[in-house]
Amino acid sequence: MSEQYLIGEIGSLLGLSADTLRYYEKIGLLSDVQRSPANIRLYSDRHVSQLRFIQRAQKMNFSLAEIKDLLSMREDPQHSRREVRELTHRKLQEIESHLKDLTTLRNELTLLVNLCAGSEDGCPIIEGIEQEDQSS
Amino acid sequence: MNIKVEVFSSPGCSKCGRCVALVESLQAELGHDAFRWRRVDVVAELDYAVELGVRATPAIAIDGRLVFTAQPSRQKLRAAILGTNEK
Repeated sequence: MSEQYLIGEIGSLLGLSADTLRYYEKIGLLSDVQRSPANIRLYSDRHVSQLRFIQRAQKMNFSLAEIKDLLSMREDPQHSRREVRELTHRKLQEIESHLKDLTTLRNELTLLVNLCAGSEDGCPIIEGIEQEDQSS
Repeated sequence: MNIKVEVFSSPGCSKCGRCVALVESLQAELGHDAFRWRRVDVVAELDYAVELGVRATPAIAIDGRLVFTAQPSRQKLRAAILGTNEK
């Protein structure tokens, strides 16, 4: 039996306002939101998963329209439209490029932090930043 | 003589000086034709150091490949250089 959440509960869980949740439903990002006999919105674990996906995609600066397409791919990958499959492929490439940049940045920072920890006089991180400032 | 040894060092790193001294001493032992070497300041050549996978200093690369992530023993460094030489 899937858990059910009230709008306030799902909002607290994910850090989203009730207005945002209602808006997502209105524009079709969230579908099949059930209603109680008293017409209160009831969200499921599937919605939690979809909303977490939306939040991750937003962090990657995807538009809500793009996210809507990606969600449709997520729901039914085998029967998605060609354009949606292409969008998904494009977004995957963007993420991989971003991941490469992040990995390089992480490695640079790891090295700088280790240099700082192992240095006996001064912190090379500061010197590195100063050198970059002077050259820019 | 084509073997290239690179010692990655950083300002204020006392172990780096010992690592450089080890390489110099090994070159004296094996002869100047055995390998060529240079000291790489990771702050000055950060991109290159990161590309090779250097995460701390000292570190040693042989022919553009990171082989030691800390100062090796004399025997291990000699074996690594001679192993490369035998290829």
